Amino acid sequence: MRTGTLPQHIIRLPAWRRRVLLIIVLSGFAVLVGRGVYLQSLHKGFLQKEGDARYSRAIKLSAHRGMITDRYGEPLAISTPVESIWANPTDVNATTEQIGKLSKLLDLKPAELSKKLANNQREFVYVKRRVSPELAQQVMRLNIAGVFMQREYRRYYPGGEVTTHLVGFTGIDENGQEGYELQYQDWLSGKPGSRRVIKDRQGHIIEDLEAVKVPQDGHDLALSIDRKIQYLAYRELAHAVEINKAKAGSAIVLDAKTGEVLAMVNLPTYNPNNPVNMAGRSRNRAIVDTFEPGSTLKPVSVGAALESGHFKPDSLVQTAPGSFKIGPATIHDAHTEGLLTVSQVIQKSSNVGSAKMALTLEPQYLWSVFNRIGFGTPTHIGFPGEASGRLRNYKTWRPIEQATMSFGHGISLTLLQLARAYTVFANDGELRPVSLLKLKDVPVGQQVFSAQTAHQIKDMLELVVQPGGTAPRAQVLGYRVAGKTGTAHKLGPGGYLADKYVASFVGMAPASNPRLIIAVMIDEPSNGSYYGGAVAAPVFSSVMAGALRMLAIPQDAPNNNIVIPPENAPEIKEVV
Amino acid sequence: MYMLGGREKISSPTYDQALLWVTLILLGIGLVMVYSASIALAEADRATGHQTTYFLVRQAIYIAISIAGGFVAFQVPTETWQKIAPYLFIMGIVSLILVLIPGVGRNVNGSQRWLSLFVINLQPSEFMKLFAAIYVADYAIRKSAVMDSFTRGFLPIVVVMMLIGWLLLREPDFGAFAVIASISMAILWLGGINARIFGGLLALLPIAIAGLIWSSPYRLQRVVGFMDPWADPFGKGYQLSHALIAFGRGEWFGVGLGASVEKLLYLPEAHTDFLLAVIAEELGFVGVITVIGLFSWLVLRAFGIGKEAVANERYFSALLAQGIGVWMGVQGIINMGVNMGLLPTKGLTLPLLSFGGSGVLANCIGLALLLRIDWENRRLQKGLPV
Repeated sequence: MRTGTLPQHIIRLPAWRRRVLLIIVLSGFAVLVGRGVYLQSLHKGFLQKEGDARYSRAIKLSAHRGMITDRYGEPLAISTPVESIWANPTDVNATTEQIGKLSKLLDLKPAELSKKLANNQREFVYVKRRVSPELAQQVMRLNIAGVFMQREYRRYYPGGEVTTHLVGFTGIDENGQEGYELQYQDWLSGKPGSRRVIKDRQGHIIEDLEAVKVPQDGHDLALSIDRKIQYLAYRELAHAVEINKAKAGSAIVLDAKTGEVLAMVNLPTYNPNNPVNMAGRSRNRAIVDTFEPGSTLKPVSVGAALESGHFKPDSLVQTAPGSFKIGPATIHDAHTEGLLTVSQVIQKSSNVGSAKMALTLEPQYLWSVFNRIGFGTPTHIGFPGEASGRLRNYKTWRPIEQATMSFGHGISLTLLQLARAYTVFANDGELRPVSLLKLKDVPVGQQVFSAQTAHQIKDMLELVVQPGGTAPRAQVLGYRVAGKTGTAHKLGPGGYLADKYVASFVGMAPASNPRLIIAVMIDEPSNGSYYGGAVAAPVFSSVMAGALRMLAIPQDAPNNNIVIPPENAPEIKEVV
Repeated sequence: MYMLGGREKISSPTYDQALLWVTLILLGIGLVMVYSASIALAEADRATGHQTTYFLVRQAIYIAISIAGGFVAFQVPTETWQKIAPYLFIMGIVSLILVLIPGVGRNVNGSQRWLSLFVINLQPSEFMKLFAAIYVADYAIRKSAVMDSFTRGFLPIVVVMMLIGWLLLREPDFGAFAVIASISMAILWLGGINARIFGGLLALLPIAIAGLIWSSPYRLQRVVGFMDPWADPFGKGYQLSHALIAFGRGEWFGVGLGASVEKLLYLPEAHTDFLLAVIAEELGFVGVITVIGLFSWLVLRAFGIGKEAVANERYFSALLAQGIGVWMGVQGIINMGVNMGLLPTKGLTLPLLSFGGSGVLANCIGLALLLRIDWENRRLQKGLPV
């Protein structure tokens, strides 16, 4: 059958036309082959780079932050897993109902949430950070496209406000903000790892591009703190601050032999698990604040006088008539005692006696004792923001200044410096370095006084808590105690403030072989009594009693050792 | 096995087995790659019920229907096709008009291209390519005496083509129009149209395009946007930049079947218009050149069949065979050129491979016609009736 209706000669299908057309079509294919070679071999570097930029992602693998523990490994700061809910707004595809449920679960305003999820300029927004894993699972069950969760860690502080001044706390990205969390940031945080992965457009991980860099978890940090003693000290200090209506207070418990801090508490404080409203509460006052210690410094200046050879414990010092004029200024005692032995100068806390003894010394010598015992220089305990206190150069000392410094005025210290100074009396004249970290070995100390002088002072300090001393309320049942009270006017802008005091007590027990040194400072007690013996000494006594028993330290006195002064006996006070 | 030595008489084929096999191989590659490219899309989409095999199952059904359709078409003599050519063409034009009527035509992604017929949706423009090839081949034969004349030979077909072009641009489906225009012009060229008239038509094209651009400058942006997808890779250049990345990732041998990342919802239309990009990523340049090679072979074979038809003095068959070859070739080249960033994005599928029922069915009927023409050639050479 042919197309016979048409005359054959008219139909022309020239072969050259077919060839031309075929060549055109085939050259189209040839161009495609060339383009394929170009794209798939020559240009692939650029194209693969662009591809990686679109779907390869570096994922941070957060390292587990190390624990901070007390000396027995009890946790003071631990990281617990939490989930953060985030979204890629460009992929979010949620119904109004889903948005409603999500906002309800996460306690967010629906309008705010919708706005967040509608931000098409970004591919990552946090919807809510740090929610519990259970809540995160509920959110995931809503099955909203473009909403994801991400494992993070939240720092939890079991010790709360009791240990926070030491431990500190971390910010939202687990960076230390205060205390040892800040000081040991690198040690605790470890090194985060990373992973390069390919993700599909909905954010699911498809494959790893290179070897996973495993995160290096942070190290644990053991503080020297004994959690139980810390709690005890906190409880007793809080009680004293409350009943004395004080503005603030600090207490330190030192291991007398090793210099380790077994407890360090301050008030007011805050809860690091919810660090808000922290103004005036965040400071570890025992280390970063200084104060004029008053009479608690006398053992040091009297020790210097004994060491000079001019005095013996039974040397007599005339303190009558209870006042002593140096130039235009006059020093007063609380009671006129007359002729006192050096021991009694300590026991009765006589300013006149202490001043007269100090004035027999060369300024340079007294300064060197103060300097060697650590006044005016930081303890280098390794706590952020440590204060060094103020000890002026002896060349600028006037006699009145040298005299007042001997009983703790015109010189400022931190409570930690003061407590450390007392290690001299507990360790045969050797000053022990202090540490907030648990130590393996007893550190080497520095001889400040001869062993004899140290013993003599310790004996005098035992008299302080006896009837006739300033602090009978510092006695501890079953243990001999040695210590010293201090009461000082606070410094204001225009000199000493008449009605604001700092009461302190520093002491040690058992006096026969001191194991613990406790320093207590109460700032502005304002409920009537303000003497160190009345305000600070009871805190010392109860903390010391508890701590000695917790540590099972053998008694060095019978159980009836406490001698209560008679009711009508005059209260021995120091002058301020 | 038809080439057993010494048994030529028995094994001598009555039809072009190679052409059938190439067709089936392309359909097979398409089915596998459509599945690979559509898994993630199907799983993520609520409309597919999150079934990963949603597109696989449908494409398999389409292919089965298409092979059946091709088998039926193969039974119809070319003479009959020639006779019904005008009716098919008119039917095609009517369906192109219907598709534009709101309520009758279905709009998908801003294009009014589909006709809802009970349970299935048909895309008239796909069939129009076939009808146009048949019609223009018939036209060239009918008017062979006046092919040198501008008014009697050339003008009528140009007017008809402009009508079709206008209808297709209303959808809009510029890609289909480009293919239909190419098929028509190729057949006219082969049918012996006056070379000067043809040259003038070719010269007019750039002027017409310039006019279109001048009338709406934004079109220029869209047309040249493909030249530098990296200028706006997250906006206008998004699709193309991801297609190119797929090519770059594939290198020579590909990332492996199923391992494409681009198909994971980065590359839109991965299972339809941009199937080649997924082939390039998963099977590499080897996969790409295989597809190009198979299409080239199809075109060469179609032209070879056309040549044999000329030798048999069956001019309608000759023109139709080459028209079908041009159809496969041009649509393949445009689709692959779009995938490789050589041509502006047009919404044209890769024949036989891309997902889509109408396209595959039309392609299969076209290739069945090609097989039929070859079968008739063989019969005539043996002196048998067709």
